Amino acid sequence: MAVNWAERISAFSRSPSRFLSGTTAEAFLAELLRELRDDRASYSVKVLLLSPLCEHPTVLCPSDSVGEETALELMSVFAQCPPKTVQFCCHLLLALTSVLVCTSCVSSRSRASQDFLDLLLQIAQDTSDLHGDAAHRSLRATACDCLQELEACSPGLLSQRLELLGGLRQRESSRLHQSYAGLQTLVLRNAVYQLTQETGAGPEHLKAILGGNTSVAWEAEQDSGLMNNKDSAILSSVILGPMGTVPTLQTGPDCKELRSVLSSLLEESYLLTPLCQAALLNRLTELVAMVPGVPPAIFRAQLLRLLGTSEVGLLHTTLLMKCAFTDSLFSAEDEAFILKRLVVLSQHPLLSTPEKLFYMDCILHFPENRPIGCSDGDETLPVLLTPQLALALVPTVFNDSATMLARLNLLSLVYLEEGEDGEEGRGLAYLYEHLTSLLHIVENGGSREIVVTFFRAVLLFLSYFCHVERYSNSLTEKLCQLYLHHTYLAPHLINLADQTQDKLTESSWAVGLLKALQGVITEAPLAQLTLQDLSRHLKMLARVAEEGEIPQHTTLSFLSSVITPSSSSLCVSGDWRLGNSLLGVCRRLLVHPSLDSLLIPLADILQHLTCRYGDTDIMDHARLYYSLLTTLSREKLASMLAQDLTEGGRQVKRRTLSSIMAEGEGLTSALTIHQTEKAIFRLMKAQSEPRERTQSDRESDLNQNETENSPGEANVALEAYRTQFHDPRFASEITLNHQLTHVEAVDSRFDQLFSICLHFSLTDDHYDDLSDISVPCLFRDRPCPKVKLTLKPRRPHPTTLHASAIFTTHDGLSWHTVLPDIHIAFQQVFMPPPTPPTWGRGGRLSLFEGLWDEMSSDSREKDLTDCATSLFCCQLKEAALITLVEKHFLPYLVSDLSEDDDEFKVLVFLPPQSHMLLKIRSEEDAVHFNIATDNWQLLPHINSYLLTITSCQDAALGHL
Amino acid sequence: MSVRALWIISHEKGENVSIRFSRRFSTVEHRAKRLAGSWYVAVPEENTVLQLLLTEMGLSDSNKPYVALRDDCLHCQRSPALELRVDGPAKGVLWPVLAISQGPLILACLPLVDAPAEPRPPLASLLSVSQGLTLLAGLQTFLLGAGGKLDSEGLASRLAMLPAVLLQVCPLGTPLDVPLLGAPATNTVPTPAGSQKQPAWKTGLHRGRAVVNVALAETVRSMQYGNRSRQDLWDVFGTVTCKCEVEGVLPNVTVTLTLPPNGSPLQDILVHPCVTSLDSTILTASSVDNYDGSAFSGPYKFPFSPPLEPFRLCSYTSQVPVPPILGSYQLREEENQLHVSVTLKLHESVKNSFEYCEAHLPFFNRDQMGVVDVKVSFGQLDISKEKNLLVWALGQKFPKSREVTMEGKITFSGPTAGPTDPLCTDLTAYIKLYFKVPDMTLSGCCVDQHSVQVYSSAKPRIVTSRELLSKEYFIWNSTGTAPVSSGQMML
Repeated sequence: MAVNWAERISAFSRSPSRFLSGTTAEAFLAELLRELRDDRASYSVKVLLLSPLCEHPTVLCPSDSVGEETALELMSVFAQCPPKTVQFCCHLLLALTSVLVCTSCVSSRSRASQDFLDLLLQIAQDTSDLHGDAAHRSLRATACDCLQELEACSPGLLSQRLELLGGLRQRESSRLHQSYAGLQTLVLRNAVYQLTQETGAGPEHLKAILGGNTSVAWEAEQDSGLMNNKDSAILSSVILGPMGTVPTLQTGPDCKELRSVLSSLLEESYLLTPLCQAALLNRLTELVAMVPGVPPAIFRAQLLRLLGTSEVGLLHTTLLMKCAFTDSLFSAEDEAFILKRLVVLSQHPLLSTPEKLFYMDCILHFPENRPIGCSDGDETLPVLLTPQLALALVPTVFNDSATMLARLNLLSLVYLEEGEDGEEGRGLAYLYEHLTSLLHIVENGGSREIVVTFFRAVLLFLSYFCHVERYSNSLTEKLCQLYLHHTYLAPHLINLADQTQDKLTESSWAVGLLKALQGVITEAPLAQLTLQDLSRHLKMLARVAEEGEIPQHTTLSFLSSVITPSSSSLCVSGDWRLGNSLLGVCRRLLVHPSLDSLLIPLADILQHLTCRYGDTDIMDHARLYYSLLTTLSREKLASMLAQDLTEGGRQVKRRTLSSIMAEGEGLTSALTIHQTEKAIFRLMKAQSEPRERTQSDRESDLNQNETENSPGEANVALEAYRTQFHDPRFASEITLNHQLTHVEAVDSRFDQLFSICLHFSLTDDHYDDLSDISVPCLFRDRPCPKVKLTLKPRRPHPTTLHASAIFTTHDGLSWHTVLPDIHIAFQQVFMPPPTPPTWGRGGRLSLFEGLWDEMSSDSREKDLTDCATSLFCCQLKEAALITLVEKHFLPYLVSDLSEDDDEFKVLVFLPPQSHMLLKIRSEEDAVHFNIATDNWQLLPHINSYLLTITSCQDAALGHL
Repeated sequence: MSVRALWIISHEKGENVSIRFSRRFSTVEHRAKRLAGSWYVAVPEENTVLQLLLTEMGLSDSNKPYVALRDDCLHCQRSPALELRVDGPAKGVLWPVLAISQGPLILACLPLVDAPAEPRPPLASLLSVSQGLTLLAGLQTFLLGAGGKLDSEGLASRLAMLPAVLLQVCPLGTPLDVPLLGAPATNTVPTPAGSQKQPAWKTGLHRGRAVVNVALAETVRSMQYGNRSRQDLWDVFGTVTCKCEVEGVLPNVTVTLTLPPNGSPLQDILVHPCVTSLDSTILTASSVDNYDGSAFSGPYKFPFSPPLEPFRLCSYTSQVPVPPILGSYQLREEENQLHVSVTLKLHESVKNSFEYCEAHLPFFNRDQMGVVDVKVSFGQLDISKEKNLLVWALGQKFPKSREVTMEGKITFSGPTAGPTDPLCTDLTAYIKLYFKVPDMTLSGCCVDQHSVQVYSSAKPRIVTSRELLSKEYFIWNSTGTAPVSSGQMML
């Protein structure tokens, strides 16, 4: 059993959504709670059971009320816990905190959260463990942690308990004083923050809070607490950059009480773990920043200790302190010292890489006493960071990637400021040389990581020094040589060109690089060209061809020299991929601005491919491009092919049919069928159609009345009618009109859909399988396409159809989606009896009589065992009855509505071979629906149908 | 100051990846949601996080040479915080994800951003980042041990302890402490009630004889090029590790470091948080400053109240005028032969008594060694099993002349190719020195046994020790191009 739970809990935390697809949150929660109450379960398992509640409380308790109930359950479990199970009790407190906070029970001050708060305060004050019961002490510690979290999530919750908390902290001599100190500091900070938000709050309010009256009940505190909960600003740190404003509380210079609390907290801060110390100092920094009456000098005694520390958190706190107090606490010398310290720490051999990276980040966001500009989060160099000082951080090839890039970035900033001529540009020269060293390592077969790092370093270097042509040109040259020997770097180089183009919009370096690459590719001797190199060259040339400024003649002569020699193994081999890459280049050339001058050589190449290439598919596409090139005007060609190159940027290429195969990288996603997350469209019943048909039916009836040519006698009519059914296909199908419409949720990707193929599956065996239906397109802003569903019933029962669809979006991707189910109601299967077209009303009436007699006759003969009669009664007024018949039965009516007959005769055909006959007549007490059918299994459906329409009619009339 | 989630992942060079432990802190997530408002990005489920994290760390799809998402040169990972680009319905960027990786383990966490989400606040303004880093480093040490190596069984048992450990150190997402290594020290008793508050970083009290152990270890690194255009580099850093078994809730101990009369001052001093006070003069000397000769040069007093477990009291760096061993390495390529000529000189100020001293001469990007015709003036020469490395064992002592040489020829005619290294091609080659000298420091820094003061009733036993270790001690072939640019000269 235990193993089972361990597995289930870990499955849940791995993926709650997948886990809950097999059960429901409600059921799982109930199971957890039941097991938690079970005395036989071990406490180690019970601890495990609490983890879903701790980690995903809102998944298990989707609403506040469930959260509230769950919390009450957990509290009763807590109450029954034997005292020895401290670990479990601690976890239980954590679970309760999670549930109550996350379901907003705490912020709405619910009953359970109130009880829980009382429980926590009670545990926190229970110092009966004074004489060494370490286990119970840990429960007390956890209670404090929970209180702190409640206060952090609902600031101000405990502001009336400050005096109590202060007292607890002062009296505690065990390690637990740390928990109280953290709690007291946070509550104090939040209380002061709230005071800063209240107009007119002053020293006396502060004093009142510090000497808080614990007898004030919770209810009285609600207002201030609730109000502030709506504003998340109180959760944010108040220490902001140089331009931020801190909310302040004017107290005047005399706030003795606050000062004494602060001094006492600071004095004991040494006794806290470095993590708690940093948090405490940070809270106190915020607090002092908000109360100008307390001078920041209160921290001075701690500063030396903090500045010399090896702990990253404590030094960080000091930096934040500097950010908050600038020169009111830190002198210019302090500032210089701290900066030097940061430089030292950024390269200290004993520190870990993440720590060093963090310190480098701190240098670039150094809180200067007198910042020159408003940096607003951007990286800037502190004024005091001289090139001399920065020398300690020069990048070397022995650095790991991240450190190297961070150092390169920092030094680039330093040398950018220094300018090209400062110190004769030696710094910049060094950086460039460093880049060259990296390039040599890549050349000598550096690992993938080094390759990637190198290209990142190049981009970084260029982003600062692109304008220094001496280096940027030389870099271009070196990269070309590198590429020639290591063609596998093609995607990296293309990526570099793309990114420099995007990032350095004013520079033409990327174009220069691509042009140079085109040069080395097209000038290299062909004899040594391997097929692998060729395919990379083609990729590269395709990218080069996207640049309108680069002349493409050399590319064309290269292509031509690769494919045209009769000995060319390329054409003979007929490699599809290579052919595809060739076409990729051609395709881009087709839209190149200098196409006019390329026309003939390009046409030659395409024609050659059309005739000689050893792959039919490639030949076909080459032929397509050839005919496009030779028959279309430039403008048309451009508009046909250009959109996928220009729109949407390079990252998201559009895939039109003409490009689908020449786009090697997009091919996979174009060939994959993607699954939509939600339904995109659905089939809706078309409303208007049936009524129109009714109208025309009636007209045709009228027309035919005169030229009636129908059997007069019932049994003759019946006979003639029946013979039609000898053909099993006769009148066996029903057609339902639907519309395909988008569902509400707007996702612009799906605004225009093409080639929609609808597929249906049955949920029962009452019908034959449906064939697929295709719809050419569906646009959100155009009328909905009509879809005719043709159903072939085996039994005319209501049913539900599952529907799915495959379609294409305008970017060429294929999608699979599931539509909402389609419900086929009983009445949708109704058809007028398929009498021969020459029959008029009289014929149908005879048919009705014949069928009626047969069905209601007592002598149940061989075939007629399925027949049945029934009676349905309801209360309807005369007018209501006529409306009802008009609305629901007009197409099936065999008696005349206008005739002054007091009985309506309705004959409904239900494919394949069933009938429903109704004689509707108003009696004194009620309307009687006499029912006869040749399929008794339909009776329940008939009954519920009649019930529906008559009660609707009631309601409708009731309104009138 | 809190973290939203924590993940511990194991992998073998990007393969067989699995999340070994994860914890979401729902109440912190609740705060994150309120703080970020419409910018809020929820933490995705485990598998998604794993995939995104590996991609961002460059570990995914290790068999593919280029993956756009992973290798885009725009993603410049030069900050300790990663961005995870979450796709799908909960689209957005999860930031700042901290990740530290050592051996087969990756530890990652997502600190809470307690500032307006846009524009993105600088990392340096979020205390939760340094707190997260500290937590991760603490967990890493707990899981892998201080040495950083642990067998899979040991790791599994440590992982199993994590829920109980987190209950102590990070119950609700706010890190309170780092996990204690191993079992608490022996001879401890719980605190009695008293007026003196017990430090939160002290789990109990020591009972018994007072013993103070102070170990001073210096490490020397060097890059020697034997080339006039390149300046040789070396640096020294020292650490003072203490283990104090002293009675009392908050006992006072003072350790004093002293330098010889002409010693260069200790620089970049970093101290343990248990140090109670510091003199500002101690902190002034810095390696990134120009040394002005007038700086304070000791004695360096460190008053502290010790925790129970061993700890690093302080660390420093020092600028010594000469490297302990000066080497020259020359290679000449002749046909398929390599002429090797090495000289190593031990500086006279260094005690000629080693625990070990070895010189390693690796050869990369060549075939295996065939004929090795090399003579050494002193010590023993070995060829590694893989036949790509000469190991020159110098033993415990240099000869009286303090100079040793190696001379000879090596042919590379082995049947298979040796290991490759993109750095060491052609004549770019190095010697790496491994040595340890007990009872000496290069800076001359020492802890006098009598200078350790313990303010307690019983007379304590005081043990001090010191040693010098080499690390990354390279001597590059002076006839080849060392993989450092001449710009290094500026140093």
